[in-house]
Amino acid sequence: MVDVEEPELADSPYVTLISSDGLQYVVKREAALVSGTLRGMLNVDSSFQEAETNRIKLHEIDSVLLEKVVEYLYYNLKYKNEVDTPEFEIPTEMSLELLVAADFLDV
Amino acid sequence: MRSRRNETNEESSVRGPNSALTAFLREQGITAEVIERRNRQREEQEELERAAVTQRVATDANSDIEELVDAATSKRRAADVSDDDGDDGNHDRDPDGKSYCLDCDVEFKITVLSKRAERNGRAGYLCADCTLIQQRKARNARRNEVEARKRRKKVAAALLDKQEYKLPSLQDICVKLISQNIEEVDAFGDIGTVNMRKISKILSKNRSLNGHTMTLFLDAGLKELEFWDCSNMDSDSYTKIAAFCPRIERLTLWMCGQLHNDNLRYIATNLPNLTHLTLNGPFLISDSCWQDFFEIVGSRLKGFHILNTHRFSNDSMVSLLENCGSGLEELTISRMDGLDSKPVYDILPHYLTKLKHLEISYPTKEELVDDALIVNLLSVNGETLETLILDGCSGLTDATLVSGIRPFCPSLRKLSLGLLDQITDDGASQLFTDWDINDGLMEVSLRRCTALTDAGVYPMLEHSRSTLIELNLNSVYGITTQMFQDWSRNLKLGLLTSLDIGFVQSVNDKAVSILGRVCPKLTILEVYGCNNCTQEATVRSGLRLIGRQTDNF
Repeated sequence: MVDVEEPELADSPYVTLISSDGLQYVVKREAALVSGTLRGMLNVDSSFQEAETNRIKLHEIDSVLLEKVVEYLYYNLKYKNEVDTPEFEIPTEMSLELLVAADFLDV
Repeated sequence: MRSRRNETNEESSVRGPNSALTAFLREQGITAEVIERRNRQREEQEELERAAVTQRVATDANSDIEELVDAATSKRRAADVSDDDGDDGNHDRDPDGKSYCLDCDVEFKITVLSKRAERNGRAGYLCADCTLIQQRKARNARRNEVEARKRRKKVAAALLDKQEYKLPSLQDICVKLISQNIEEVDAFGDIGTVNMRKISKILSKNRSLNGHTMTLFLDAGLKELEFWDCSNMDSDSYTKIAAFCPRIERLTLWMCGQLHNDNLRYIATNLPNLTHLTLNGPFLISDSCWQDFFEIVGSRLKGFHILNTHRFSNDSMVSLLENCGSGLEELTISRMDGLDSKPVYDILPHYLTKLKHLEISYPTKEELVDDALIVNLLSVNGETLETLILDGCSGLTDATLVSGIRPFCPSLRKLSLGLLDQITDDGASQLFTDWDINDGLMEVSLRRCTALTDAGVYPMLEHSRSTLIELNLNSVYGITTQMFQDWSRNLKLGLLTSLDIGFVQSVNDKAVSILGRVCPKLTILEVYGCNNCTQEATVRSGLRLIGRQTDNF
């Protein structure tokens, strides 16, 4: 959603996640690597197109879900090694769809 | 007693349990009421004193500060019993009530609110600002303590689940939320089988698996279904399983107390692919229904596990053997009080020939399962047998090990001999010493084999040193420190990941560090009831010690 200069280089510290309805989320590479699926896509040895362009299209995840996912990626990044963490809030009605997305993204 | 009861009328004759102290206090005539009255009197007295003091202050405010301070300090002193040196409050004090703050050395006037403190052996008061700072510090310390306690609790809870505390994954958070709101869910959608199984297990644990929630897990293509707590599932739900999921091959239903005769018949006829059935607690199924079931499923039944029912009779067992015996690869009979005929047990070897998994545990009488039966069973099934569980068959002796397991079981991988108190060192060492036909066991339980000592356990370790993954030596009291020393000098168990050595008194700090060293993959070490294992033990990083008595959270 943030409109910044498009990162293109493979070693850029940011990657762009694109939701099914076309919104772009520029997140830290570190945060994106929390997700096993994204990690695989961004692996430079994998020769995925995503690894070169640093843009990942997530056709099955809409912007509402993706925003929550991104929120979790940063939550995980921040509290990974801490025990005393605040609860991660999820609206109840979103939980099932989010579970599907989380299952896909392996987070 | 009687006279006292007449004396105090309001005392009822019905009483809960009493401590000796309560009884003593009552005898002395000390009751809650008396104590309260005393407190009230004391408060009134104090009230009066305070009134007198303030009056005096009001009349000659300027000259009497000294006295006021004295009153205040004496009161404080009265409250603070531990503080026993009398005059240290006066160190930095002028006759007119001025003092220098102990922290910032500013000159200030002492009031009743000034905080007494001690710095480097000097006692004195703090100025108003420093008092505030002190109070804030104390409050923060308290809050930190509460948070630290919460943190320790989380870590401890994870430890008891044999896991390390880690941030919950997004899937876990969602699964938890869904489980809490399961009544609102109409269908799961594509959440993946792993998540499905997770939710099912959580619902079982919460006891919220019922006629409504169970339908969420049914799917026409399903081949395997596990419900771990069916106690709230009514008879119709069982029918639904068979009606909605015709392709099921493995069905596991625990606590299925509401499973009816009709349900079992329906399952038998409507699940043509069913090969493995596990039922825990199906006590409504009658003898004739069991016989019908076995007649229908016949030889396609490959695995049959039944636990905790007294209605499964000797005749049911015979029917199982006659109809399905030749095809059975897995058989569990555990805690079956209806099976009480020795001849029925004795015909097991005549029907069962290709078992891979055999569990006969906790028979209703120990003489039902004897050495001859097990030796016979092993002589026909030993070639294929991978899992043998004989927990609680306390009638078994060394003969089972020496003439049964040793000669006939080359492929055995899991052996559980829990509570076999007649197994001795002699038998165990004969079994494991140079047991060349078997390449090594992966899972061994000698839990509560109370007659065993080092001489029996050590040969087992030696034999399976390169394969053993899970080992249970809980309550094998005879193990001494010598064994750990031998182990340390001569053995390395490269794959061992989980060891339960609870209630073995010889486990001390040294043993823990030895285990950490000789078992490089060991991650879980259970030491419940090992009093000699203390805080001092050196625990290798990556090894989790569970149940240490000195651990407090």
